[in-house]
Amino acid sequence: MHELNWGLPVVAYLFLAGLGAGALTVSASVLLRGGPTSTHFDVARYGALIAPIPVALGCGLLVFELGSFQVGHWFRWLNLYKVINLSPMSVGTWLLTFFIGVSALYGYTFLSRDAAPGDKYDGLRRKIAWLGVPLGIGVAVYTGVLLGAMPARPFWNSPILAMLFLLSAISTGVAAILLTHAIMHRKNEDAEVERRYRESGYLLTASDTLLIGLELGTIFLFLMYAHLTIGNVKAAVSVILSGGALASLFWFWVVLLGLVIPALIELYLIVPRLIYYREFVVHRSFEIVVPAAVLVGGFMLRYVVVIAGQITHPVGL
Amino acid sequence: MDIETEHTDSGRRRFLKGLAAAGAAALPVSTGAAAPERKKQYGMLLDTRRCVGCQACAVSCRSENDVPLGHERSWVEQIDKGSYPNTTVKFLPRLCNQCSEPQCVSVCPTGATYKREQDGIVVVDNDICIGCKYCIQACPYDARFLNPKTGVADKCDFCADRLAQGRQPACIQTCFFRARIFGDLNDPDSEIARLIATNPVTVLRAEMGTMPNVFYIAAEHMGEADARHYDQHIRVTTYRSTRERR
Repeated sequence: MHELNWGLPVVAYLFLAGLGAGALTVSASVLLRGGPTSTHFDVARYGALIAPIPVALGCGLLVFELGSFQVGHWFRWLNLYKVINLSPMSVGTWLLTFFIGVSALYGYTFLSRDAAPGDKYDGLRRKIAWLGVPLGIGVAVYTGVLLGAMPARPFWNSPILAMLFLLSAISTGVAAILLTHAIMHRKNEDAEVERRYRESGYLLTASDTLLIGLELGTIFLFLMYAHLTIGNVKAAVSVILSGGALASLFWFWVVLLGLVIPALIELYLIVPRLIYYREFVVHRSFEIVVPAAVLVGGFMLRYVVVIAGQITHPVGL
Repeated sequence: MDIETEHTDSGRRRFLKGLAAAGAAALPVSTGAAAPERKKQYGMLLDTRRCVGCQACAVSCRSENDVPLGHERSWVEQIDKGSYPNTTVKFLPRLCNQCSEPQCVSVCPTGATYKREQDGIVVVDNDICIGCKYCIQACPYDARFLNPKTGVADKCDFCADRLAQGRQPACIQTCFFRARIFGDLNDPDSEIARLIATNPVTVLRAEMGTMPNVFYIAAEHMGEADARHYDQHIRVTTYRSTRERR
């Protein structure tokens, strides 16, 4: 039996940190892109309010999973703040700390129900957003680098894994915003509000389609290059290819349910608006189910990758 | 030239060696007080021709270091190979390789694990380690584990506390067949340095680039994955209570 030293808390953390980082990146980009009367201010607001919560929760799970914490050294993890070195985990600790602080402050500027472009926090909000984009991308990339830094783990030791995690992070961030956006929406008499709602929905859905497309391409490259190598990496990646122990988990939950099906539905939804400039209308059930499937797929991606890395090893001794 | 570089055996090193020898011949050599202090690098040589798989080293290690059940600092694997009547049984004693390029050290986020300056042993500081298990993932030799009693990473440290008292590591003292030789690799007069210099030796997973300081004579490097290619029976028994070979 292979020992799984990193279990569900780490899987959940990688997913949650990615989600939060993606949400902040998307929120800040949308805010900076939008003008003074931004149509998509709601998107920025939901993203900003979501971002710090999953990241803080994920970090909490990480601390809970520490060996020292589990034997009762409750505050031993503070040792992480006594050094800065080039260990990906040390870099990540500082990144995450800054991320939580910055995203919490950023979220605070949106906290008021009356938050709108041009209110008293507008300047501050934009300044933080400039920090938020690189910070969000940094955290998302770091979750992949954390796993990728070890030659002893051939499944993880791929430069493209961090790219895959970044794309998945932004995609799940978009899905989380889309889901919140749909759930928080109430039918409004004002046609302008409805129009904005639909436009934002279109922006997010279209972005998500693109991200999922890129993600599928990255997965293809990951698998292809691993399979074309000989030795350690090829043996490791066979665990998610046909006949491997995690093949069905990967192909059904990650690729089919988490990527292909949502992408096809999203494509079907955006094409009328994209090509024929028709109104973007989505049935309520799709509004909920599609982002939920993307979130499930994002979680399962982390799950499969974390487990696959630990049950595979270099061949030969 | 230090013996530690033996296993790389590259032409460039031999060239440098030659240069150093030429330089030494050309200059007036002053011996004695002016000689630069040599850095110590403790290492181990495992002569598997002498190992009978009695597991006495693993037992003495367990009792010396109070290793919790289900985990091992040191263990002896058994490799059965071949089909009747052409078969062998070989034993492969395993322990932390005290690498010169330790991956566990480079991933440690707190600096709790480090390579000691004075003797090159890779150690874990139990008061600093937070038990994140990153080093356990990073070790290509599966030599580390999370000690459930202390909640921190644990591994072979060549019995550093015994060394401090001027005694040998427990496994060395126990090995009845003298299959384990311990000493300073950088001291050309030590037994281990002489044996490494005069025997063909190998290290485990040299391709990982970790530069191990644990050497083997006549080690069986084959594993179960190799059975596919050679169409013969290979079985590895790790004698570890919960882990298979990784």
